[in-house]
Amino acid sequence: MADQVDSMSDAELRTKLAEHGFPIMPITASTRKLLVKKLKLVLDNKSKPRNSVDPKVESRRSLARYSSGEESDLDAANLKEKRGRRATTGGSMLPPTSSKTRRLPVKKDSPVKPDSDKGSESEEEKSPVCVREKVETVTTRHITRTYANEQDEYETGSDSDVDNDKKTSSPFRSNSRSSDYISSTLSTNDAATSPPKSSLFSRPSISPSNYTSLSSSDHLNSIRSRLGLTSSLADRPSVSNYTSNYTSTYQPSTSSVDEVESPYLSNFTRRLSSLKAEPLKPTSYLDRDINNGTTVLPRRSFVTSVSRSDVVDYKSANDKKFLKNNLVSLALVVLVALFFFCLFFMYLVKKNDITSVVDDQNSVIPICQLNIPGNRPGINCVPREHVSYAKDLLKVIHPELTSRIAAYKCGKPGALPYLTEKEIIDFASARAETVDISQCRTDLNNLQVLIVNNPRWGLSVVQLKSSYTRDVEYTPLSSTDSVVQQRHKGSVAITLTDPSTPLSCLFVNTLYSAGSTVVIVGLMGIIVLGLQRFYKYYVRYQKKKSEEIYSMVEQIIDIISQETEDSGEPYISVDHVRDTLISPQNREKMASTWDAAVKFIQKNESRVRMEVQSVDGEDCRVWRWISPHGSPKRSAAWQGQAFETQEGSVNNLTVSPTPCLKIRHMFDKNDSNPNLRSVIQDAILEKCDEKCNILHIDIERASCCVYVKCATPIDAGIVYRSLHGWWYEGRLITVKYLRLERYMQRFPNSPSVGPFLKPSRPKRSWEE
Amino acid sequence: MSSTSQKHRNFVAEPMGEKPVTDLAGVGEVLGKRLETAGFDKAYVVLGQFLVLKKDKELFQEWMKETCSANSKQSADCYQCLKDWCDEFL
Repeated sequence: MADQVDSMSDAELRTKLAEHGFPIMPITASTRKLLVKKLKLVLDNKSKPRNSVDPKVESRRSLARYSSGEESDLDAANLKEKRGRRATTGGSMLPPTSSKTRRLPVKKDSPVKPDSDKGSESEEEKSPVCVREKVETVTTRHITRTYANEQDEYETGSDSDVDNDKKTSSPFRSNSRSSDYISSTLSTNDAATSPPKSSLFSRPSISPSNYTSLSSSDHLNSIRSRLGLTSSLADRPSVSNYTSNYTSTYQPSTSSVDEVESPYLSNFTRRLSSLKAEPLKPTSYLDRDINNGTTVLPRRSFVTSVSRSDVVDYKSANDKKFLKNNLVSLALVVLVALFFFCLFFMYLVKKNDITSVVDDQNSVIPICQLNIPGNRPGINCVPREHVSYAKDLLKVIHPELTSRIAAYKCGKPGALPYLTEKEIIDFASARAETVDISQCRTDLNNLQVLIVNNPRWGLSVVQLKSSYTRDVEYTPLSSTDSVVQQRHKGSVAITLTDPSTPLSCLFVNTLYSAGSTVVIVGLMGIIVLGLQRFYKYYVRYQKKKSEEIYSMVEQIIDIISQETEDSGEPYISVDHVRDTLISPQNREKMASTWDAAVKFIQKNESRVRMEVQSVDGEDCRVWRWISPHGSPKRSAAWQGQAFETQEGSVNNLTVSPTPCLKIRHMFDKNDSNPNLRSVIQDAILEKCDEKCNILHIDIERASCCVYVKCATPIDAGIVYRSLHGWWYEGRLITVKYLRLERYMQRFPNSPSVGPFLKPSRPKRSWEE
Repeated sequence: MSSTSQKHRNFVAEPMGEKPVTDLAGVGEVLGKRLETAGFDKAYVVLGQFLVLKKDKELFQEWMKETCSANSKQSADCYQCLKDWCDEFL
């Protein structure tokens, strides 16, 4: 079903997407691929392995019906247009070569036509029966291959009138590879309706040739188009259905003779392309084949033939196959493991069998011979008649020794990995009451000699470090002489040279060590995790703290700048700020933050300076706000003289020529203060200090000039000297004399006699 | 979102105009080249795609992955960048 999506038109795609709850968005060349992928994903998730079979066929039919119904509503031109679009999306539907082979069977009664697409299709529509026959041919062929045994299959029944052998002969021989392919793909494709029987097994042998043939795109297309026709028909339950559909679509086309060709052509091709949803499944298989090479093919056929599951849920089949393949290898691995385990077990059992080792013919037994001097029984040789006794003694004590060592290895408290002479004698006399102690002693001595001479027995005579403390330390003795020496000290014992740990103990020990390792690793892991957690927490804590400090600093600076501006005092007490910011219950808690913030301000804040001031008679730390631009009150003021304008200076005219002045640069062009005029008037009047009589002041915003008219030229001189070359609000003022006529021209309504202008606010002193 | 990259802020700060696709956050030289070969040479073309996909994060990221094989971080950056730009200017 998912493969169907590729061939959907934009509208279909949109409706499908809407069905699955996607937002409807424009389907463009760039988004289409994406949306198709999405839809496929959703469909894949939704389709269930079992019950997807029937709905699938159903939807196919419904789709076909839908498209055929739709096409009867549309006019011919529209259909043609659609067909063109389909043809481009689906690749060339019928390449010349394929159409030729297809036409072969029907060519008897039709004239030869040019090998164009349209030609072939129009020919087909002219002889629709022949086409149908040919199509049925494919179906029957497919059936004969696949359902040779199933005569009750309905498709066989419907097509029973078709002569199988005759029909299948010529056209498909000519293109045998692709036709073979069709049959095989069809059979897999049709697994939904009935299980494949025989033809599948022929598939692996065919597929390589398919694979090679697919390398040419023409072939692929021809196969696709062929499949588009055949498989759709193969899925149809009966031919009657097909014919009824067929006639219904054919009906409108008979209305006008001229249009017979094109509407039908479009109908037919449209049917073809609308049914291409089915061929897309095989083609998708083809694609997979191409991707995976030939190795996949046998496996798939194997799975389909064995499990006979629906090929539709290819994925589930794939999973099963995976399991199956793995089962074999898993069983192999288990077998091998079992084998080695048995070997190991046998080895363990074998090793403990002392009787066979002792009675071995290869054992070195120094027999005492009386004629050789230095041969002393029980010290470096054994009397012949005592050998068997010594061996019996060994056989008696060996199980005890083994169990002791096992107990020792298992970590039993108090267990020792050896048998001392005394223990051996006690043990032996307890086992066999008839044997007296001295006899036991002799046997033991002989046994020691034998053991020293036969390292292969896996036993050794050892010297204990100390016979009093029950210590496990011992050193092996390799010569009979040293054995004799130690024998007198009573510190000789017998032990196994290569003691093996019993399995249960081994298991427990391993478990124990593994457990302890796990515990240690776990502990270390926990510690590391804890450290990491702690570090993370610490970092977060630090971050939080610093954020707190920064916000505190910002608040402090806000408060300082605001308070100093509001109260007029240039400084504010540190404690006051703290008490403003932090509520009493938090003061203790936030003390560290506060200190850090204060430190930060002291260190990194240039606008705030900390100093000690006496506030209400008490010295306390204060913050002074140092504005970067100076105080706003000062900014509207005269800021000092740039150059000299007093008597005798070059800038000073001795005689004032006119009573009118033009002052430049007192304000900016973009100064939007609405009462700028009064501000400037006040500034000038204050500066001139009432000692001159000014009649009229006006400003011209366009040229940034202030015009001043004084009562007399002498007054103008005073104004000139008090304003020219001064800084006002950061700008240097220049003053020029203006002729009275010009002034009157500009301001005709300016008064020529008093009253003189007075400053609007009380006089302030300007620092110079 | 703890912080955004400088590139992101630069992009979101102003109308995109004729900015190349590499100005998008998450799109470096390599992705830029791939996008250009796919026809998305300007940032506004990618914006168009973004809008066509209705600002859907999943789809847009999928598209980025398809078109220029961007990894999830790159596509998420790009998505966030375009989204913020749209919130600001659209």
